[in-house]
Amino acid sequence: MRNIHTTRLYDPWPDGVEPSVPIEGYTNTWLFTPSQPAIRKPVTRTETTGPAELWRKLICGDGNLAVTSTGKWAQGLYMRVFGQILDEDSRPIPNAVVELWQANAAGRYAHTLDNRRAPLDPNFLGNGRVRSDENGWYEFHTIKPGAYPVPVKDAWWRPAHIHFSVLGPGTLSRLVTQMYFPGDPMNDWDRILNSVGDAAARNRLIATQQHPRDAGTEALGYRFDIVLRGRNATPEA
Amino acid sequence: MTYNPENRRFPLSQHTIGPFFPPGFFQPGDNDLTRYSADATPTEQGEVFILHGNVCKEGRLPVPNMILEMWQADANGRFRSECDPEGDQADPDFIAWGRSWTTMEGDYSFRSVLPGSYEEDGQRRAPHLNVLLMGIGLMKPVTTTLYFPQFAELNAKDPILNLVPEHQRDRLLVQPDGEVDGVPAYRFDILTRGPADEETIFFET
Ligand SMILES: [Fe+2]
Repeated sequence: MRNIHTTRLYDPWPDGVEPSVPIEGYTNTWLFTPSQPAIRKPVTRTETTGPAELWRKLICGDGNLAVTSTGKWAQGLYMRVFGQILDEDSRPIPNAVVELWQANAAGRYAHTLDNRRAPLDPNFLGNGRVRSDENGWYEFHTIKPGAYPVPVKDAWWRPAHIHFSVLGPGTLSRLVTQMYFPGDPMNDWDRILNSVGDAAARNRLIATQQHPRDAGTEALGYRFDIVLRGRNATPEA
Repeated sequence: MTYNPENRRFPLSQHTIGPFFPPGFFQPGDNDLTRYSADATPTEQGEVFILHGNVCKEGRLPVPNMILEMWQADANGRFRSECDPEGDQADPDFIAWGRSWTTMEGDYSFRSVLPGSYEEDGQRRAPHLNVLLMGIGLMKPVTTTLYFPQFAELNAKDPILNLVPEHQRDRLLVQPDGEVDGVPAYRFDILTRGPADEETIFFET
């Protein structure tokens, strides 16, 4: 077994990349965000390691959310979301567990807590889990989600977005984030996206639309590469 | 591969999981670290225990639908990873990772085996549990490390626990809490936001 030096694999978060919290006008962040600063600790073995063969516990599927197991099609604009899971040195991360969830085309989640007056789609659950391949690639077939309002004081609309949860090789590379769509004016007004201070960092959360010649005619294509923390920390495939 | 500045990429920013994390992502056995999957044979190494408690927000109000993830060493203090020099000797039946989901009352639980202590860079690490918490209102996950009161001598020398001001270290100890299903139980309640001397102590790296 190759012995990786555990120190220096993980740079601290660069400035402006982490969301600044709590978020003004977003009450929940004021009720949950710790008031005390977290204690900084060095990177040690217990942070760089993570579960081997996690897909044995978190069972992965084929990533097709657009068609049910009995062949029924969800309502909406069909799209393929795909990309590469990478570390900070652009090395592909194989065997990452990638979880995705999203609203339906009308902007409603198939979740008991979502009581918004918008139709549910019986053929769209809106979540899936896949494992990245030996070159770090993942893909989902789904539909484009709708926008939805956040019913707080000074309410605003969340632009269309997709939630991602990624479990890479170490607990330090754990990432939960959201993907946005290019050219949506609501991106500029979204308090969640704009809690990320650095403009380049916000742009990295916006997927790239595929050219029609590459996307084909079956579905729109959006590429979204997911870079996890960890320089040179990716285990060999 | 050696470091090449031209290949440098920035990690994506973190965002909240929001209120709609899919219930289907949580299956029976996910909070059991002692086995790879619900139908796998549990590890035979180590002392089984239950860790349970609740998660509260400002005002000590319990919160449902919070997600906790736990990661730890095996009973002999090894991680099944290339980042552990003894990783190839780690317990192959122990996944060492689990996910729990708080109930309507804000309660979570994990089943695991007592982690071992180990040596790293000439220092001895006390047995510890790494817990990550995410949910509505948390724009990024928060993480903490929990210790066991029965290992007082090891705790006193643990380099990470020693980063915490001395009078606060006890607040990262799990509390013995009788038995659940015939195995020893420990309790640890989490308060994400509250008075400074009651709020859970979190770490960042
Ligand atoms: Fe959402």
